[in-house]
Amino acid sequence: MRGATSAKWVAGAVIVAMAATACSTSKEGDGKAKSGGNITVVLGEPQHGLIGQNTAESEGAEVLNALFTGLVDYDNKTNEPKLAVAESIDTQDSKTWTIKLKDGYTFHNGEKVDAQSFVRAWNWGANQENAAEGLPFFSKIEGSDELAPGKDKKPTATELKGLKVVDEKTFTVTLKQPFSQFKTMLGYNAFYPLPKAFEADPKKFGEAPIGNGPFQMDGAWEHNKQIKVKRFENYAGSKAKLDGVTFKIYDNLDTAYNDLRADTIQIVDKLPTSAMATVSQEFGERYIYKPESGVGYVGLPISTNPEAFGKVEIRKAISMAIDREALTKTIFNNTRKPADDFISPIIPGYRKGALGEAGTYNPAKAKELWTQAGGVPGNKIELGYNADGGHKEWIEAVANQLKANLGVEVTPKPFAKFGDMLTDLGDKKYKGAFRMAWSMDYPAAENYLRPIFSKVAIDHGSNYGGYVNEEFEKLMDEADKTVDPAASIKLYQQADDIIIRDLPYIPVFTYMSSSAYSKSVKNVEIDAQGRMDLANVELN
Amino acid sequence: MGRYLIRRLIQAIPVLLGATFLIYFLTFALGGDPVQALAGEKKADPLVAAMLREKYHLDDPFLVQYWNYLTGVLQGNLGETLNGRQVLDLITEAFPYTVNLAIVAFAIEALVGVTAGIMAALRRGKFLDQLVLISTLLVISIPVFVTGFVLQLLLGVELKELGFDFFPVSFNESDGFKAYLLPGFILASTSLAYVTRLTRTSLMETMRADYVRTAVAKGLPRRRVVVNHALRNALIPIVTFLGADLGSLMGGAVITENIFNINGIGGLIAQAIRLDQGTVLVGVVTLLVLVYLLANLIVDLLYAVLDPRIRYA
Repeated sequence: MRGATSAKWVAGAVIVAMAATACSTSKEGDGKAKSGGNITVVLGEPQHGLIGQNTAESEGAEVLNALFTGLVDYDNKTNEPKLAVAESIDTQDSKTWTIKLKDGYTFHNGEKVDAQSFVRAWNWGANQENAAEGLPFFSKIEGSDELAPGKDKKPTATELKGLKVVDEKTFTVTLKQPFSQFKTMLGYNAFYPLPKAFEADPKKFGEAPIGNGPFQMDGAWEHNKQIKVKRFENYAGSKAKLDGVTFKIYDNLDTAYNDLRADTIQIVDKLPTSAMATVSQEFGERYIYKPESGVGYVGLPISTNPEAFGKVEIRKAISMAIDREALTKTIFNNTRKPADDFISPIIPGYRKGALGEAGTYNPAKAKELWTQAGGVPGNKIELGYNADGGHKEWIEAVANQLKANLGVEVTPKPFAKFGDMLTDLGDKKYKGAFRMAWSMDYPAAENYLRPIFSKVAIDHGSNYGGYVNEEFEKLMDEADKTVDPAASIKLYQQADDIIIRDLPYIPVFTYMSSSAYSKSVKNVEIDAQGRMDLANVELN
Repeated sequence: MGRYLIRRLIQAIPVLLGATFLIYFLTFALGGDPVQALAGEKKADPLVAAMLREKYHLDDPFLVQYWNYLTGVLQGNLGETLNGRQVLDLITEAFPYTVNLAIVAFAIEALVGVTAGIMAALRRGKFLDQLVLISTLLVISIPVFVTGFVLQLLLGVELKELGFDFFPVSFNESDGFKAYLLPGFILASTSLAYVTRLTRTSLMETMRADYVRTAVAKGLPRRRVVVNHALRNALIPIVTFLGADLGSLMGGAVITENIFNINGIGGLIAQAIRLDQGTVLVGVVTLLVLVYLLANLIVDLLYAVLDPRIRYA
């Protein structure tokens, strides 16, 4: 009797267990395991109202990414653009682009996402009266000069000539010049759509934006405290699994990290330096460590100080005298990797080891080149950096390496703020070498070349060295014209080769992103722009 | 008394004016470019930067800018940050947290500090006295950010892992009073040590005074001698210290607020400096000057209560 009962229990338990596992496997098969729940993630206070066209910094972009869906999105692994709200993006000549939208996308207030909602947003961003940070992104579109004629002038139009609404779901974009990477560029937050409600009061909109993404605002932005979002039930793409996400705003990353350890918050996508030594032990699989888009350089003022940095041999000698391996290991604790191309490793078009000899540590050869070229006047160089960003250590290490390997007197020169250094460089007051960094706006090889090394970038971009090379310009233009993606990448790589030959800047390291998440969540992924892919996150 | 009060309040006006001028001048002289600071590690677009500079009159000469600011203040407008937020809003959002934190810290400082000081003074040279002396020395010699981080880690993270979830790692409004306890203690710690030592010395000194000896000789109970006779006089330097400290508690909360993620005045100051937001800085600092002036006035008035020989005209 007694045996019989226990046998019954065992059998019952087995059935229940089987049912449970069967149930759970079938659920996983459907791709919708447990959904619901709320989590809290880290954020820094965004600098602007939450408007895609006015956001050029990463904190605001993080929230916008949850609230908006653009025409294209990027694959988390390959960083290739993939269509999101767009049904198709076609061109015959890289100059005129026809964009068709998918059905079913609406804003959080129910308004349809139509062609007009993109045109509205871009016209606003392109108008200089609005002083939107994303303004330069629209300069490629025909008619942008009428909306942004320059300082002390009034715009003569309110609509971009190059934008034409064909029907509710279709619009065309005409560019001033062909630009093969236009489709890739469209994933950037400056190109997000805006609903009609935006026009009534842009400032108020920025406090509680009405987007078209997987999450919608849950109340207004509580400044310096938090931004709460909840799942948008009528989202046409793949719906968010979580019920809601709270972006908790921190000033101090160490505190955020301690909160993560106490499971008060669930994801931290910017770990403090103090955590780097122990985080992989503590979090194991829940520690994500992957390359991100940033590249760190030593910049050289070629045009302001040609006596010192005009010769390519001098630049190459400096590059070869820097021990990148030692630098990334000892100073950065492996949170950076030695740079071996001007293009970031995560970008389509990157070539491993492209820098070749110039990127290889060879003190003997470096010294030889240096002596042959006759060194620099006075055998002295300065190495500028901004003291507010944690650059002192690596700049001093580079200074010591140059001193030891080239026998040159190197003085690190701190600037209080990054802006101070940029001002002095722009005014040609500062003639020494300087630290510089670039992280992409959109994942294209082009974005690592034109904004930093082209002629136009002297006034409008990050070409602080004043480097000019006609051959490079020609190749870039050609690549911009080419419609076939593979062929255009080839041409960009040829332009890259010229930069590698000339070394206007010296790439030193590429950045790595490090994030960690608590036991209570899973499916956490960080995209190429260092943002959390929150729509896929699930509770454990 | 009334005239004294009014005179002191009128005196505050030039002090406030001078303070705003000085801070405005210093932030201006320091340079820094708020437009670039807003753009972060990328170069601000020249056209966008020019439009912002024009909108916020950043290219005007210093005196013009200061005059504009001052006339704005007189109309109740403390200015606007470059990202379009009213400075007055920023301050009214942040101020309550700092006030709460300062009150908690002040209470801990006054209650614990004075009590420990009295106990140490009355047991001079004994074990308790030694303990107070050593522990206060320890607290004074460790920087606040170290104590803050260590206690945050021990009480917030490690203790929670053991199942005791009382001290939150960072500030959450929904935790109520509990949320202020640990940060309040950290903020109070250094001053607490000073108050303890000051109370101990001051009380020991008054205990040796003639009138206390007389009181003891009269056969008054010890409790009455200490509380009614000695302590009342001994409190004068302590009240002076506490009064001045109330101001520094509010301004000095930068580190504590940062460690515990309290979005108060301290965080606002740090943010304003980072982003070169001069107008925010001037607004906050003026407010702090005001707090100092008021605290000092209250201290001066308290003297008369503690020592009736002090009179104001």
